[in-house]
Amino acid sequence: MTQSLRSYVLMLKWQALSKKPILALTLVVQVMIAAGFVFGLGFFYREITPDMAKFITTGAPTIILLTVGLVLVPQIVAMARTEGTFDYIWSLPVPRMVYVAADATIWVLIALPGLVLALIIGAIRYNFGLEISPLVVPAVLLISATGMFLGYSIAHGAPRPEMANLATQIIVFAIMLFSPVMYPIEQLPDWMAAIHRVLPVKYMADLSRGTLTDMDVNLGLAFGVVGAWCLVGFIMTYALVRRRR
Amino acid sequence: MVLEIDGLYKAYTKGILVNDNISLSLRQGEIFGLLGPNGAGKTTLVNQIIGLVKPDAGRITLDGVDIIAKPGYARQACSLQAQTQVPITGLTARQAVELVGRVRGGDAGSVRERASKLIDQLEMEEWANKAAESFSGGMRRLVAFCMAVVVPGRIVILDEPTNDVDPLRRRLLWQQVRALIGMGSTVLLVTHNVLEAERAVDRLAIVNQGKVVGMGTPGSLKENGDENIRFELVLEPRAEVPAIPEFIQSTVITGRRLVNRLAEREMAPAMQWARSLKEEGVVEEFSIGPTTLEDVYVRMVGHADTQEMPENEVNNDSIAS
Repeated sequence: MTQSLRSYVLMLKWQALSKKPILALTLVVQVMIAAGFVFGLGFFYREITPDMAKFITTGAPTIILLTVGLVLVPQIVAMARTEGTFDYIWSLPVPRMVYVAADATIWVLIALPGLVLALIIGAIRYNFGLEISPLVVPAVLLISATGMFLGYSIAHGAPRPEMANLATQIIVFAIMLFSPVMYPIEQLPDWMAAIHRVLPVKYMADLSRGTLTDMDVNLGLAFGVVGAWCLVGFIMTYALVRRRR
Repeated sequence: MVLEIDGLYKAYTKGILVNDNISLSLRQGEIFGLLGPNGAGKTTLVNQIIGLVKPDAGRITLDGVDIIAKPGYARQACSLQAQTQVPITGLTARQAVELVGRVRGGDAGSVRERASKLIDQLEMEEWANKAAESFSGGMRRLVAFCMAVVVPGRIVILDEPTNDVDPLRRRLLWQQVRALIGMGSTVLLVTHNVLEAERAVDRLAIVNQGKVVGMGTPGSLKENGDENIRFELVLEPRAEVPAIPEFIQSTVITGRRLVNRLAEREMAPAMQWARSLKEEGVVEEFSIGPTTLEDVYVRMVGHADTQEMPENEVNNDSIAS
């Protein structure tokens, strides 16, 4: 255990240093996406009530974390696969999930400033109050971990790295437009709503709404469903990174 | 024996064997060379030792431990300089070397000391604190080498360590490889650079198309009864290849170069033949000397890795015309 912790700290340092050249740019982009997101959505509607604004703004954390976990991470991992980087990393005496955990930690830290900023801008711009519960910490961690594990599974599970890139394009489109994150699930056709009662995306949005505002959501169900998906992602990632060719 | 490989088979695509019944063993404290042309299956073999690739059949044991069943043991015991790029973007040379040293279990103080020593001895100070993005291919290889040897494993695997490295630093690098033996490591050197390998290794295996085609010390591989003299002719441009006399045992023709092998007692007639060819204007120059490992390699592998042969390499004890 201490050995794993030591490896985790060292890999964390390695990953942090390796992100340094793109860190500033990535942070700027994340912040711009967050701000653009909150302001941009205002253009969809002629008038936004504080309740609508609250709904939309509290969807932002899910969108931001999933964009990192399911889009950015698979793309960068796929690129590293193409370059053969993992042939080196996997030869080190570091448990592979420890490496994944260190990598994921850095990505969450990169995503956090934009996430917080989106909430603050939204609350000020549309004039609503946030009611932050301590449960927001496990909620954000769970959403992040689930996104990362599923992202890692896509990146390592795709037969060819380019396929992972293509998959992320489809995923981002599906999340942005066809997921009940920015609008209530009742607005989807029944069959799509049925799918989203199984997928984790809606419940991720519920997690952020339930822990950031006074909105009435079933937090227990949300933790349960996202937790189950997190476990599935973990098992898939574990199996895939341990796989030998 | 530190590492024993027995009857190893691997095919990525069904029916195409990348490793075809490979058996070899590494003795404690030796530098063992794995030589072969591109695509011979060398890196696949390394990847099976380190646990990235699973063999279809065969056994690999390290210190008696079955490392196909326990790849984690192999990763603790082996340190690798992979052929692929190391992920060091964003890190300085020193940071990269120190981080791997710590990951491999070294304590901060001794790792820092060892990293400084390596950087100093490989004359890399100028780059030590610069970010890796600005490094040339050769400098990246040197950093990768330092990462493999900063806290060396029981077995240090070096896959083409000198690619892109300048000739002076190559010498310094080979000194560091020798020093690893004094530190208690055993070295597996993977290369297609025969000239370097001949000077560096204690024993070697020549691999071609997935099979071991020769194994032994460089000396034992070169001893081959009646064919221990290398007799090289360089033809004049546009000259026809002359008829080869019977005392020549074998000939490999690469462009204008004829590398012949013959018995020592046939040296006198060979010289006579060469002189007459020179007088006739067929031969530009010729040299005679002991067989090199490269000759053995070319004969075993069956085709010349010509880009690896320096054009003017003449053996010290050969007699040039």
